[in-house]
Amino acid sequence: MDFDSPEEKEFPGLYASEAADAKSKKSKEESDFSEGDHEKHSKKDLIGRRKDKKEKGKDRGYAALEGESSPEEELDTKSPSKSKKSKTFKFTSSKSKEKREKSRDKEKEVKAAEDEPSLKVKDKEKDKDKDKERQHDEKEHKKKDKERKEKDKKDKSDKKEKKDKKSKQTQQEDAAGVEEVLALGYPIFGVSVSLATERSRCHDGVDLPLVVRDCIDYLQQKQSLKCEQIYKVEPIKTRLLHYKRLYNNREHDATVDELNIPTACSLLKLFFRELPEPVLTTDLVARFEEVASHPKVTEQQAELQQLLEQLPKCNRTLLAWMMLHFDAVIQQERYNKLNAQSLAMLLSPTLQMSHRLMVALLCHCTNLFPDVKLIKYVPPLTSSSPGLPDKPEDIQIELRKQDSLLSQIHSEMNAGFITKKREEQLWEVQRIITQLKRKLRSCEKKQEKSIDELDSSTSAQTPGQPTAQPAPQPVAAPIDSVSEDTTDSKSAPTHLTPADEQPEEPSVSASPTATPIEYTVDKQTGYLLLPKTSAQREELLRLQIEYDELMNWQNELKTRILAERNEIFRLKQLCEQEMLKPSAGLAPNQEQLPNEGDYERVIEHYTRENALLEHKKQMLGMELKEERRACIALQVELRMQQF
Amino acid sequence: MSKKPTAGPALHKVIMVGSGGVGKSALTLQFMYDEFVEDYEPTKADSYRKKVRACTLTPKTLGSATQCCTPSLQVVLDGEEVQIDILDTAGQEDYAAIRDNYFRSGEGFLCVFSITDDESFQATQEFREQILRVKNDESIPFLLVGNKCDLNDKRKVPLSECQLRAQQWSVPYVETSAKTRENVDKVFFDLMREIRSRKTEDSKATSGRAKDRCKKRRLKCTLL
Repeated sequence: MDFDSPEEKEFPGLYASEAADAKSKKSKEESDFSEGDHEKHSKKDLIGRRKDKKEKGKDRGYAALEGESSPEEELDTKSPSKSKKSKTFKFTSSKSKEKREKSRDKEKEVKAAEDEPSLKVKDKEKDKDKDKERQHDEKEHKKKDKERKEKDKKDKSDKKEKKDKKSKQTQQEDAAGVEEVLALGYPIFGVSVSLATERSRCHDGVDLPLVVRDCIDYLQQKQSLKCEQIYKVEPIKTRLLHYKRLYNNREHDATVDELNIPTACSLLKLFFRELPEPVLTTDLVARFEEVASHPKVTEQQAELQQLLEQLPKCNRTLLAWMMLHFDAVIQQERYNKLNAQSLAMLLSPTLQMSHRLMVALLCHCTNLFPDVKLIKYVPPLTSSSPGLPDKPEDIQIELRKQDSLLSQIHSEMNAGFITKKREEQLWEVQRIITQLKRKLRSCEKKQEKSIDELDSSTSAQTPGQPTAQPAPQPVAAPIDSVSEDTTDSKSAPTHLTPADEQPEEPSVSASPTATPIEYTVDKQTGYLLLPKTSAQREELLRLQIEYDELMNWQNELKTRILAERNEIFRLKQLCEQEMLKPSAGLAPNQEQLPNEGDYERVIEHYTRENALLEHKKQMLGMELKEERRACIALQVELRMQQF
Repeated sequence: MSKKPTAGPALHKVIMVGSGGVGKSALTLQFMYDEFVEDYEPTKADSYRKKVRACTLTPKTLGSATQCCTPSLQVVLDGEEVQIDILDTAGQEDYAAIRDNYFRSGEGFLCVFSITDDESFQATQEFREQILRVKNDESIPFLLVGNKCDLNDKRKVPLSECQLRAQQWSVPYVETSAKTRENVDKVFFDLMREIRSRKTEDSKATSGRAKDRCKKRRLKCTLL
């Protein structure tokens, strides 16, 4: 089955996460130490753990009473996919049972994080490693306890704060334990950049892990950049870890959990600190450092550029966004008191590069990443969003996002990351896609209708309409409609009917009179030309040319419609003539009648083919239209040059 | 295993399965929007949600088909307001990879074939097996649906054969026409009713009984 590939993909991450965990723990311990309350912490943890044990006991009691599945049952029943490839997984679960019996206070999380790797790697040396493992577990355990405590705290405070949130969370609570187990096998923090990116995509085509994107977006706001706290103030630890957990479990909801400046900064830092290898990659980081110590600044840039090309794409994107964001931060030095030097001092250790290198990257960043722009992320809609977009283009954009989201959910589920919430989301996304598609289709139908209407109106109007010569005065009126109505230039003529022109005209003439600007009329083209000094000259000219081009297109289309109509008429006549002489046609047909079954199949085959072709035709038609529009835009540019 | 009935209108998740071109989408759209789409456009996957409101449909009135449920926006199942999520899947094998993800979360299945196409009937066997494999539960709410019954003159699958298969699986068999709307509401309502009774049964069951049944189910499956 297709399980091999995801598994292969998963494993490196899991190892990596372990390694990173160890690393992060180290660094965390260090930081704890520096705060000077290390001992306190561990005491607290001990107490917390004891409490935890009790709590857990209770939980289990509940579970048994309600027939709610306890964790190991869950593993068996809830994931049919696993039972399919059962061998490894059955083994896993049975083994985990064993483990639990040996050390009952082991956390679920630990199991999830360790089961798979431990199966393969530690199996043989299990006995030897037991002690080490226990130590490791304990460390993990402490961390977990902290997290859980915060969560409890958070829950309490939430209950006070918001009712809806409370209900949400209590609902989740039953499942939470289980979900954590599953989700923590697929974390965002502590895995390679590419894996993190893949696991929490931005669905608008920018390859960044969502957590990084959200933090940068938040910090890129004017008031954040100007704030003196930025990259200086540490957040409340529990809050930070709360956000880490949210992102790791893909539960972050921007509308509910708003970041603040210290948290966003530290979350970014945490992400980088937990990367299994530096963002500049272990292979290349030394060479980067070499280049950074290069004396000649100009050559430095070229060489950096060259090295950057060699980075994996997602690493490059990540670096680019960070550097451009830092650049934006130091642009506001006046307010936040951070310059390149001091910012590098603060952050170069986190990014695992030297101070010198970071300063070098910072000072070249706009040249190094000319193609990257920091764009605020608009996540895909959810069912709670106010409504779907109306314009076909917006619908297309949204569809692309939703498709990207859907494929991510599918690939994660195929890899075994299955929770109730995920399943809910799967259906929801699918539903939104269906709605979008239906809406798009109805838009297309409307367009077709409007073309039909256009047909009838043009056939009625063609004799009298002065389409060929757009006189100077009415020009401005249709411009409005064209610019508003870029979706369908074909509907422009409806605005052109004499009735429409009249009311618009005064306003056009009013604007020049109100501001008594001289204008000339270009004799060749009949364009209104404002004096070169006028700011609107360009725009007016552009609109006039665009209008001309669109009119040309319209005329072309109209002639073609007429031609097609004539063709239809001709064919109809031909058809009628054929009907009149039936005897000749029937004779050969009768010979074919015997094998009727084949006949039907052939018919079915062709109806299907035709439907497909029809679809293709529509797509091509749309493409044609787009291309044509691009042509027109270019034409306009070209002609602008002439003036 | 047991699902607690959540607050608010109950939500039943229905999945349409069957070969390509048998009319899964047509049935769905007819039920959802009272529209019949002539042209064939392959589905990858589509999902719909509908609120169902009571006009007290008893099975008997349902038997007499079409008009008993006025095309109201909401569906009412025996006086109770429920929501229905319908997932319309791809018939083609090409999308089988993503199908499992949906099957897993489905609570009831409409297995559709065309009575004018014997191959689509044969394919139902495959779909049934796939569902049982994923759901691990032989008594999952399931209806065998013979669509296109308005084309009775072109029937390729004899009624007796359909009924026999349904009997073997111990599931109901219903013939529908997405075109004329015959029995369209019936199949969805019947299935929802099965899902609902299944859910109440599950939630009533004491933990011990539930466990027993789980064991039974698993046992059966190992036999499979």
